[in-house]
Amino acid sequence: MNLRLHLSTMVRESRGSRGRLLFFTACLAIGVAAVVGVTGAVDAIEEGVRAQARDLLAADLVLSSREPLPDELPDVLDELAPGHTRTGILELPSMAAVAVDGSPGPSRLVELKAVDGSFPLYGELTCEPAGALHELLTDTTVVVAPELLSALQVALGDTIYLGGEPYTIAAAVIAEPSRLGFSFTLGPRVFLSRAGLDRAGLLAYGSRVRYRSMVKLPESAGADQLNLLRSGLREAFPDPRERLSIETWDDAQPAVRRQLRSVRRYLGLVALLSLLLGGIGVSQIVRAWLASRTAAVAVLRCIGFRPREILTLYLGHVGLLALIGSLLGAALGSLLPALLPYLAPDLIPPELISAWQPWAFARGLGLGLGVALVFSLPPLTSVYRVSPALVLRAEAEPLPPSRSVQLACAATLLAGIFGSAWSQGDDAALAGWFTAGLVITGAALAGGALLVMKLVGRIPRGSVPPTLRQGLSALARPGAGTTGAVTALGLGVLVVMTMTLVAERLDQEFADALPEDAPSAFLVDVQPDQWPGVRQVLADSDARSIDSVPVVMARLSSVDGVGVDELLVDRERRARWVLTREQRLTWRQELQQDTQLLDGELWSDPERAEVSLERSFAESLHAEVGTELVFDVQGVLFELLVTSIREVEWRSFAINFFVVVEPGVIEDAPHFRIAAARLDGDSEDLARNQLAGDYPNVTFISVRVIIEKVLELMRSLAVGVRVLGSFTILTGLVVLAGAIASTSLRRSHEVALLKTLGVTRRGVAALFAVEYALHGLIAGTIGGLGALALSWGFLVHVADVSFSPSLLALGLAMFTGTALAVLCGLAASRSAMAAPPVMTLRA
Amino acid sequence: MSSSPRIVCSQLVKRLPSGDELITILDGVDLTVAAGECVALLGPSGSGKSTLLGLMAGLDRPTAGSVSVDGRDLSRLDEDELALLRRGTIGFVFQSFQLLGNLTARENVLLPLELTGVAAAGRRVEELLDLVGLSERGHHYPAQLSGGEQQRVAVARAFGPRPPILLADEPTGNLDSETGARVLQLLLDMRQQADTALVLVTHDEAVARRASRCVRLEAGRIVSESS
Repeated sequence: MNLRLHLSTMVRESRGSRGRLLFFTACLAIGVAAVVGVTGAVDAIEEGVRAQARDLLAADLVLSSREPLPDELPDVLDELAPGHTRTGILELPSMAAVAVDGSPGPSRLVELKAVDGSFPLYGELTCEPAGALHELLTDTTVVVAPELLSALQVALGDTIYLGGEPYTIAAAVIAEPSRLGFSFTLGPRVFLSRAGLDRAGLLAYGSRVRYRSMVKLPESAGADQLNLLRSGLREAFPDPRERLSIETWDDAQPAVRRQLRSVRRYLGLVALLSLLLGGIGVSQIVRAWLASRTAAVAVLRCIGFRPREILTLYLGHVGLLALIGSLLGAALGSLLPALLPYLAPDLIPPELISAWQPWAFARGLGLGLGVALVFSLPPLTSVYRVSPALVLRAEAEPLPPSRSVQLACAATLLAGIFGSAWSQGDDAALAGWFTAGLVITGAALAGGALLVMKLVGRIPRGSVPPTLRQGLSALARPGAGTTGAVTALGLGVLVVMTMTLVAERLDQEFADALPEDAPSAFLVDVQPDQWPGVRQVLADSDARSIDSVPVVMARLSSVDGVGVDELLVDRERRARWVLTREQRLTWRQELQQDTQLLDGELWSDPERAEVSLERSFAESLHAEVGTELVFDVQGVLFELLVTSIREVEWRSFAINFFVVVEPGVIEDAPHFRIAAARLDGDSEDLARNQLAGDYPNVTFISVRVIIEKVLELMRSLAVGVRVLGSFTILTGLVVLAGAIASTSLRRSHEVALLKTLGVTRRGVAALFAVEYALHGLIAGTIGGLGALALSWGFLVHVADVSFSPSLLALGLAMFTGTALAVLCGLAASRSAMAAPPVMTLRA
Repeated sequence: MSSSPRIVCSQLVKRLPSGDELITILDGVDLTVAAGECVALLGPSGSGKSTLLGLMAGLDRPTAGSVSVDGRDLSRLDEDELALLRRGTIGFVFQSFQLLGNLTARENVLLPLELTGVAAAGRRVEELLDLVGLSERGHHYPAQLSGGEQQRVAVARAFGPRPPILLADEPTGNLDSETGARVLQLLLDMRQQADTALVLVTHDEAVARRASRCVRLEAGRIVSESS
């Protein structure tokens, strides 16, 4: 058969069913719109998060090391990232002293940050008086944190000494990006220029310097370029001993990174499921369409068309419609990202969104076509079973199914699902699981439908009222398409319910991840006798969530009797910090809420002084329950037995410790307190000023700006999850309704006959309602169970959050499936019920 | 009339399941149709006439026995080969017309011509429509035509590719007697001109009398043959 004949026959064949084909196109368009919309939105959200999160790092990428960075670095960067901007940073602790009669007086430990270039590369450094850092800094000026001003009793314009050299305080820095938490804080921040640092001569051998190079890519660069740069740098500077750390924005904030990872995976799931929805819709509509074309297929076969010619004829049809539907859907889907800035203006500024995303568009088009063709294959192969003898006898039996056709069709379907899942998720293993899960659920649905049909066939006909009896027998009659309809409906329920459960759980996770009262200020070096006063100041400033813990500074002396010096000999550098760093110890009777005991029991040995270690710390130390540790606190040794290992939720932003000692052991050692509190803008200023005046030794570190940024980011991500989730659920319901409706479209003949036989419209409706309700009930139950399994698998194993399946959700799925099936089925049969029977019977 | 057989049915049996049992539709039918011959299959409803017709065209498979068309045993052909055989060899006219509702009259006639790759198919369609007296109505859809007109289109479609065999299943069954007579005349005239073998299923004695041979079926068996 030549192409021209093919095309012309195709166009002619479409004439009688254009309404239905329009429906097909619309259904597919919605599915593709979901795919394109989600793909585009994922990109937009990622781009938005990247733009926001890089403020937290103050750069796109930061290289840092305890050793000077490689000399070739600038050349390598120029080659890998043409057009980039970079700033060199050196950080080191030092003493800042006030000037007393023109020479250094009382001093204070500070953190110096020498900046060579502009800083920050993203975000804002708020100074008082306002000005750009590189303009404020000369080789004789510094910009300092306000707590230093109060600690040293100096003011703007005064002089402080660093390394014996005088510097004028040009400004105070109010908020600094890329600084979150207090973990490694030694003292107030002092900014100075690189030339200024050289003048102080502090870079002598032995200084604890951290070298950084901050890199900003050109505006046009996307996430891909950043990843390329990262891997390029790793290749150029092999670093087996992990001395050179390379961070990008998604390393900047563990809390954000974790949530972002969940969101990204969730969006992958959304994209996959929306694709599946499109497939289900297509499959059902093609099924209904072909059912109405059976007579025509028989005539075509009778006049000499081969089954495969008829298959390609209808496949071509599907392809053409799919192309139109996909084009429409892709255009529609492109609008979703454009709507995002209005839904989450903080997350995604409109200028980040380009509605025209050629890649997403092309992918949607390709996926739409692919899904339509692949999912239409199973119903299309029914042309092989249409007996040409139908032209003579309406009751001619369908031909036996061909094994090779069935096998080829199943293989194509599986390959198609796997391929599209792979292309959507970029993860072959995940795509494999998804395909396998789908096959299992599909098989369960088909099996469930068959079982119910069988059971229904056995119900003694006299034992049920007539309407129910008719409905039941309609379900079980040969050729009722129950299996197909239940499978499609069940998969639809699966998708919609999974989306609902997962979105709800993730939403909850977002709410829990960052309590609105996460501390925004940390107070370091509070002396024990100052704490009641400091607490009062905080309380007077309307601070919330005030928390304080004692801190004892200690060094590890030995592990299981082996001295630290000995242990250091063959230690990788990475693990050295646990041995050499000065540790902060605290004591506590009970575990904090966000801490989980992994091994052992807290304070369980009445004979021994016990210690509890954080998991990663214990791993670095190769310590476990039963390990003996000796800590040295200013010359006094404390022997401690590890009796528990804890997992700490660091993202909670609360004060947490690697090492917690049993109460009653180290209380008498010299200690100070750390405090944390949530303070809003004005109350923060109030507290800061009051504390600076009353307790000048206390370092006040504000992370408010960053906390707020992170909070905002999380909220926006939550909005993104909700919007996309709702969009997919809505799409799912529309496609489901379409799938149900399409099965009832072919029933006009049945309606006409029943009415001719004297059944009232109400009677017909009742009869159909029973049948649809049974469809919905089976589909809702099995689909609901599948959704619980899928949600559990995704949430627990992919998104890493807890999930407890609820029976209520299952009940809801059963009810929704039933109600939806009845409502949509009856709605679609309405016109058939309204038409006079003779019209249908005569046709 | 040439004597070489176009269709040979031997010991044809067709049983169909009905509920839990099998009912026998055809029970050992032997029938030969020669080239150019006009055979009427006569019998009451349910006697197996249409089933026999379907088996001759390879639309259906016999339970036992064999059918060969132009010397080819249909039981050895798969669905594709059967389709290809029908394509150029067998034309059909059905009681319920069986026109494709989505196609105009003209397109219905054109389709088998295009399928068999007849040269100048367009001209042939005009010629056929003219022959059945519907040259003015070619652009109408089946639903816009009367029963008689639809059947005339079906006749034109069946003769289009000049098949050596034409199978007609109660071609006048759905038409009033006057229209039926006109369609029958048309069918026979065209058959004559093209020297086509015609198997005509009917339960109308008058129609059967127009054939050169009349085979009478009852309960799946041939009960009499007359020339």
